[in-house]
Amino acid sequence: MRARTALLLLAVLATLALGLAAGTVPLAPAEVWAGLWHSDAGSAVIVRDLRAPRVLLAFCVGGSLAVSGAALQAMIRNPLAEPYLLGLSGGAGLGAVIAIATRAAGAWAVPIAAFAGAVAAVALVYRLSLVAGRRLDPRVLLLSGVVVGSFAGALMSAIIVLSPSAGTRNAFLWLLGGFGSASWQTLAVFAAYAVLPLGLIGASARSLDLIALGEEPAHHLGADVDRTRRLVYASTALLTAASVAACGIIGFVGLVVPHAVRTVARPLHRSLLPLVFLAGGGFLVLSDVVSRTIVRPLELPVGVITALVGVPLFALLLRRTLT
Amino acid sequence: MSAARLPSRIARHHPRGRAISISGPRRIRRASWALLLALSACRPAAPAARSGGVVDDAGDTVAVAAPPRRIVSLIPATTELLFAIGAGSSVVGRTEWCDYPPAAAAVPNLGDGIAPNVEAVLASRPDLVLLYHSAQNAAIAARLRTLGIPALRLNTDRLADVGRIGRLLGRVTGHAAAADSVAAVFDSALASATVTPTGPRPKVLLLVWEQPPMTIGRGSFLDDLVRRAGGVNLFEDVASSAGTVSIEAVASRDPDLILTTTAGPVAFASRPEWQAVRAVRERRFLPVTGSEFNRPSPRAPAAIRELSAKLRRAG
Repeated sequence: MRARTALLLLAVLATLALGLAAGTVPLAPAEVWAGLWHSDAGSAVIVRDLRAPRVLLAFCVGGSLAVSGAALQAMIRNPLAEPYLLGLSGGAGLGAVIAIATRAAGAWAVPIAAFAGAVAAVALVYRLSLVAGRRLDPRVLLLSGVVVGSFAGALMSAIIVLSPSAGTRNAFLWLLGGFGSASWQTLAVFAAYAVLPLGLIGASARSLDLIALGEEPAHHLGADVDRTRRLVYASTALLTAASVAACGIIGFVGLVVPHAVRTVARPLHRSLLPLVFLAGGGFLVLSDVVSRTIVRPLELPVGVITALVGVPLFALLLRRTLT
Repeated sequence: MSAARLPSRIARHHPRGRAISISGPRRIRRASWALLLALSACRPAAPAARSGGVVDDAGDTVAVAAPPRRIVSLIPATTELLFAIGAGSSVVGRTEWCDYPPAAAAVPNLGDGIAPNVEAVLASRPDLVLLYHSAQNAAIAARLRTLGIPALRLNTDRLADVGRIGRLLGRVTGHAAAADSVAAVFDSALASATVTPTGPRPKVLLLVWEQPPMTIGRGSFLDDLVRRAGGVNLFEDVASSAGTVSIEAVASRDPDLILTTTAGPVAFASRPEWQAVRAVRERRFLPVTGSEFNRPSPRAPAAIRELSAKLRRAG
């Protein structure tokens, strides 16, 4: 187990290094090294101001999405659970489209509106799922997530069709995801923000183990099921909303990375969650590298790459574990 | 082209009337021949057509009943050209985006030009429909033609299309002489507006969208405008019409100017990641907002002159 963790850590470090070395502009390793340590080097702006925050943001977002997915799958006890199933993507998209359609001024208008939309959708889903007083029913949660997401999607389409601004259609491009707008500022805001929800999910690790056994056994073994559910739900929702604001909607990471890690790691969440974070972060950094190098000097949406790279990888893993 | 002899009025009033013939399966052609013979037997001979079969940009030969009196123009560029050649009074439908000339505002707005609303088009009882040549419009062109309404699919993407499409529309609408003179004036204005710079050409980033940063490559209309104005497209090595580029690529190519197509203050300039680009730090922006910059039109030479003046001032 230790060896595997060490191996994963090494792989993640290699991925981060690759993320710094590879990019739209071909740079020799020596230039990257010089740019990293000497501010007067020609490559300093690219390596320090653009690539470094981009790689780290991709890592943090990937890790957060993967951890959110793992926690939701345990909490809802459904392998199909993933961060965007809770109506978030629809809400975030609606927020972004409204910001673009109303020509909201300011450099941060679109991400802030997307965040607000995601949080509004999550709050609505939460309110719909509170059955019989204050109990959070996971099945109702999933269903409300799907319907709220569809409703927001319909509103978004209506605005796009009715809006006089042709630019509204480009909101889809923004939503498709990408780390092109990463900066130290984005990274700092995201990292500072993600600490609390990640900590709360980590603190719920033992309760998640118990809930995975079933609601009744968990209750008998002393877990406060309702409280854990509310905590995990709020944490994953806020984490995902922040990732959407930072880089648009990147699917697949939260669904598949936890499953992939589970095939090789122990199921206890205390050890599983850190591994999921590392694997998710490394995976997204790698996908981002592909997205910005495959059609130089253009970029592909990173969500396209996560699916293109991830699905075959996942299929391979599934086959290996099932046979 | 005997089909063109059929007055469009007959075609509209006869339930199975066919005012157009498309070179297609022989059976259909034979059927329309038979129909034509039957119709011409009971109607006085139609006046000689002033326009014959037209080959549109999709390669279809379309016969237009001449001259069309009710034209639905679903491309902003053709709406502009129709007014320029004096056929503006025949335009009975336009797209949401047809904003020039101002007189076009009086024409009923039929909505989108890509995959347009068929009902709205039919309700304006057109005898000619102009459609943009894109895959989404193939089905509606075929549908209109089976209903007996000639539909032309046209490319209006480049400067060279102004004269070419202008002459084609002139021939079809019976304004050939006016169209020829518009095209000739356009060609000479274009030649005189085109700049041959003595020094190095300023590198211009064509930023058509900011989040994510999108640019357009070689062969596009804006690329052509900038080159004729004395500049050079920063991404002229990119062939695609539009694509997302990384700020890293922009920073390393170091544009002298950034051409933006959005109105109002440049919001993205204050974002930290953009500070890697010198032209952003120095606020060297070139906002162009008029519709003469987003579609080929007779106004293009004026747009080039405006652009080259701005490039000179900035340089």
